Amino acid sequence: MESEALIAELARRLKPVRVLPSPARQAAAWFGLAAATVTAVTLLDGVRPDLAARLAVPSELAQWLASIATALAGALAAAMLARPDRPVAWALLPLAPLVAWLAALGFGAAADVARLGPAAMEVGENWGCVVFTAGLGLVLTLGLLVMLRHAGPVRPVPVLIFGGLASAALTSAGCSVAHRIDAALPVLVWHGAAVLLAVGLAWAFGGRLLVRPPGG
Amino acid sequence: MDGAQDRQWEEWMRAAQQGDARAYDALLRAALPFLRGVARRRIRDAAEAEDAVQDALLTIHQLRHAYDPARPIRPWLAAITERRAIDRLRRSGRRGMRETPLDDFGETLPDPLANRGEANLAAAELRAAVADLPQAQRTALALAKLEDLSLAEASARSGMSVGALKVATHRAVKTLRRKLGGEEG
Repeated sequence: MESEALIAELARRLKPVRVLPSPARQAAAWFGLAAATVTAVTLLDGVRPDLAARLAVPSELAQWLASIATALAGALAAAMLARPDRPVAWALLPLAPLVAWLAALGFGAAADVARLGPAAMEVGENWGCVVFTAGLGLVLTLGLLVMLRHAGPVRPVPVLIFGGLASAALTSAGCSVAHRIDAALPVLVWHGAAVLLAVGLAWAFGGRLLVRPPGG
Repeated sequence: MDGAQDRQWEEWMRAAQQGDARAYDALLRAALPFLRGVARRRIRDAAEAEDAVQDALLTIHQLRHAYDPARPIRPWLAAITERRAIDRLRRSGRRGMRETPLDDFGETLPDPLANRGEANLAAAELRAAVADLPQAQRTALALAKLEDLSLAEASARSGMSVGALKVATHRAVKTLRRKLGGEEG
């Protein structure tokens, strides 16, 4: 078919569309809903009794805030990258809070080892957090990817990855409030595993939620 | 390029988002040379580039609700067209790796027996593939297909039941077909 004929056909098929809100608004809307969901689930799960004491420790507070910042930055980056004309540099935005989050956990782990000795190296088992983060994270990722499904024909992969990261970071923040893990190293290991799992699942299967490109 | 022209395109796109088919038609026709320019920068082959332009037109149509009317339209159109051109290149690259130009296998000598290299190669490949089959499938294949025995005779000779022979032959043929790159069974 000639391109001119295709244009005539597309114009003939044209229907009015509802224009999407700006990426910043989309990210804010998702973050608001997701934060409310995580808060509700966390409250149902039960807040750890020593929460106030934990958040009084600067490195704990820092890592908790950094995980929330990672979620916010990840959602904004995903929403921006879902639009063809937004610069790829948005992909750098979540890196700063992500590095801060990992650094805070790393410092916490080092401080624990200095304070408690080898006992702080005990990673133990904490499947609860993995299930919590991967399960709830999956639901939140689903919501974000459906909202950003227009990314499919243009830049699907970074949107899938940052969508998974944003959801996992937010559920991880919820998990820190609900679950009782006292040393930073297990938090690093288990939350890290859960985040990687969520990002991997989003990357592997999330593409099905997005709009398919023509011929692809 | 011309700022006034860009404003006109954006105006047309806003109208198109509200369902104005005439504005949409005008926009796509006006932008067509620009889309072609973007595609041709990536793809040298004119027909392939035109296919990429058509993919881009379809994507623009799919994503017209995701265009932010407050932003310039040209980078949006260019990014979509670039993406489709790269996709086309990747797909044709993959095709190119599977296909080999036919002339490379043209006759080299007038004597028909001298051009049997390819057939010999295919026979060797077939023998190797048959050798790789499990014992039961190999026996079934040898008796039923190569020696052309009836199923009852083949069953008597091999000690396998007629049903088992049927299954083994079917599986063997399917495996060979897959290995030798024939159509899916």
